[in-house]
Amino acid sequence: MGRSISFQRLLSDRLSETIQDRAQRTLLGSEVGKNMLMHIGDSPEEAAFRDHARTWLAQHAPLYSDDASQWHDDLGGHITACKKWQHVLYDNGWAGISWPKQFGGRGGTSLQASIFAEEQSKFDVATGSFAVSLGMVGPTLMAHGTPEQHAEFLQPMLRGDHVWCQLFSVPNAGSDLANIGTRAVLDGDTWIVNGQKVWTSFGQFSDYGILLTRTEPESPKHKGITYFILDMKSAGIEVRPLVQITGVAHFNEVFLSDVRIPVANVLGQVNNGWAVANTTLTSERAFIGGGGSSWTVEALIETAQKLGRTSDPRVRQKLAAAYARAQTLTYLGYRLRTASSLGLMPGPEMFVMKLAYARHWEKTMDTAMEILGADATLWGEHSIDSGQWQHHLLSQFAIRLGGGTNEIQQNIIGERGLGLPREPSVDRDLPWRELVKG
Amino acid sequence: MNFDLTDEQNVLADLAQQIFDGLSTIERIVDVQAGDGFDRQLWNELAKAGLLGLCVPEEYGGLAMNAVELSLVLEKQGKTIAQVPLWASSVAAMTLAEYADTALQALVLPNVSDGTTILSVAIANIGANDAMNPSGVATDTDGGVRLVGSKPAVAYAQYAHFVLVSAKRADGSIVLALVDTDARGVTLNAVSGSDLQPQANMDFDVVVPTSHIVAGATSDGRDALRWMHERALVALCAIQLGVAQGSIALTAEHVRTRHQFGKPLSAQQAVAVRAADAYITTEAMRVTTLNAAWRLAEGFDARQDVLVAMYWATEGGHSVVLAGQHLHGGVGADISYPVHRFFLWGIQISTQLGGASQHLARLGKLIAAR
Repeated sequence: MGRSISFQRLLSDRLSETIQDRAQRTLLGSEVGKNMLMHIGDSPEEAAFRDHARTWLAQHAPLYSDDASQWHDDLGGHITACKKWQHVLYDNGWAGISWPKQFGGRGGTSLQASIFAEEQSKFDVATGSFAVSLGMVGPTLMAHGTPEQHAEFLQPMLRGDHVWCQLFSVPNAGSDLANIGTRAVLDGDTWIVNGQKVWTSFGQFSDYGILLTRTEPESPKHKGITYFILDMKSAGIEVRPLVQITGVAHFNEVFLSDVRIPVANVLGQVNNGWAVANTTLTSERAFIGGGGSSWTVEALIETAQKLGRTSDPRVRQKLAAAYARAQTLTYLGYRLRTASSLGLMPGPEMFVMKLAYARHWEKTMDTAMEILGADATLWGEHSIDSGQWQHHLLSQFAIRLGGGTNEIQQNIIGERGLGLPREPSVDRDLPWRELVKG
Repeated sequence: MNFDLTDEQNVLADLAQQIFDGLSTIERIVDVQAGDGFDRQLWNELAKAGLLGLCVPEEYGGLAMNAVELSLVLEKQGKTIAQVPLWASSVAAMTLAEYADTALQALVLPNVSDGTTILSVAIANIGANDAMNPSGVATDTDGGVRLVGSKPAVAYAQYAHFVLVSAKRADGSIVLALVDTDARGVTLNAVSGSDLQPQANMDFDVVVPTSHIVAGATSDGRDALRWMHERALVALCAIQLGVAQGSIALTAEHVRTRHQFGKPLSAQQAVAVRAADAYITTEAMRVTTLNAAWRLAEGFDARQDVLVAMYWATEGGHSVVLAGQHLHGGVGADISYPVHRFFLWGIQISTQLGGASQHLARLGKLIAAR
């Protein structure tokens, strides 16, 4: 209490009333939920949860080790491994840690979910193919879905029964995501969809997709969009894999010809799909920025030590810079989760995360190549660490360009973080029908 | 886990902001620089509000707060580039409170809180500038320790009553001494600094009485020096965080309101993107500084965390003030416009206690050396 008395002295009559009021409330302890002390690390409850998670993982995760399949070309094998592990999580109550119990989740906090993810990342278990379903579709369904949709999709999603893909991007529109040309027309109680999608991760293995379509061409481009849940086994869908620079066919082109979707599979309201899509995109950014990567700076340090490269002061400085970048990501993440655990809207750190993560990835993989030296020219099993560093170097483009390019993120930061005026937009209010299309 | 500030900390930051915003206007800074460079009116206001005693124990009239609270206040100082020796005085006071004996504390600290005694710290060394390997020479003598040497660019030393000076004995052990600037054998020569704040080179050949030896009187004061050095680094990180924000705020305003080719400058993507990058870097500076300060306040090992924060403050801070200067174009070249002041502060802090490469080299050694 001595602190409070000293603190009261600090308030002189020069202070504005607002500050005095706030200070009084502080001293009385009347401001709800805000008198906890700063604590950058686990609280006792969080530490207990971490111990619990770690113990369980140590018993189960080693049995489901996926080795290096995720950076080799056996994508089908990787998906099988992901499904097996997700089943185990579900059966033991670890699936959907922060999802409400009514949706089959654990009913825990987002902090617990990230503690579990942190601990899980120390094991070699496969999780990648559920990024779309658990990271993006789940939050969108919970926010915008009907009770019937909740019942039909959420539980199987948590169990890992289904792989989901995202059918948002269209050829030629690039970063102008709202400029969607895929048409959907209502015919009785079904919608008929025609068009083409691209950059669809895991499309060739997916059971369901989330699909953005143009349903009202007379409205401006952000207006007449409708968001669907698409059964990927429907007639009229053709999926063509695209082999990427990493050698893996992770992306696909998806052609939709007279595909019929029941009206019950509209997510949210007809023509209000852009708002629904924003929930998905926000979840996607948070997910990409939220880490969950299969490498760490510590792993790279070990590789450098193994190769006898850490006596080189230049290598040490670059490792130190990587370490310093990784710390900012950790603490930006802590801020994000502090805000969400207090029920507040996260601040600028949300926009910053994805971009900082992409830059960290790029620079660290350059450092990795320098450490590997001539070994960096080898590929896959012929190289050190099963070629994971080369793979990561080449997969940086997914991080830089996916979920809105780095430059799109910078535009958002300019507008929302710095309050710069919106970029002049000539097509915002014109009917979509009249826009120039690529 | 909780990264949020407490209400008490928020009130403190608001209070500091109100004082700095109210007094450290560009007009007053120009006036202060035309005088002796020390904003005494602001110093007195800080004393009245209790902020000079922020890190002084309560029994000596202080608020007994710690590195997190000091960082919050210094951030506000950096935002208004206010010309007061707050960081040096506070770090010296913290070190005395932690290491000095009661008699020395009782002699010095009460007058620190009310602003009548001004303290500074002499951490940097001429040459290679490894804080943990001071160039001053210490020799035990009757009744005290004789210190011989020089310290470059000691903040506000010409106005300080006492300076905490580090020196090394022949056996490698370290002495941390509170040197009276009026003592015989102490010479202070004012030098111009790049941030336009007062500083002085300090030459000394002085016998410091045992009563004024803060650490290392009979043993090695290395831990005390490291303790002080880590807090000094984090204090500079916090000021740099404010400087970066001040630069960005002016820059955002400029590119929003200046029109060329019929639209605001910021409507050029190359401009908006560079500003956004500066913003991202500033957020990285914020979280790493706060984390390092918190670890120090909690008494945890923070060697790596302090270096990480300092790397962002030096490399990152430099890139932010450079972007601010660049985006102002010719307007920034006119020194009647204030943005160059943030650039100068940014440069000063980027080099003051070692540059980015030095911090990285130390961090690299800690995390990777084998």
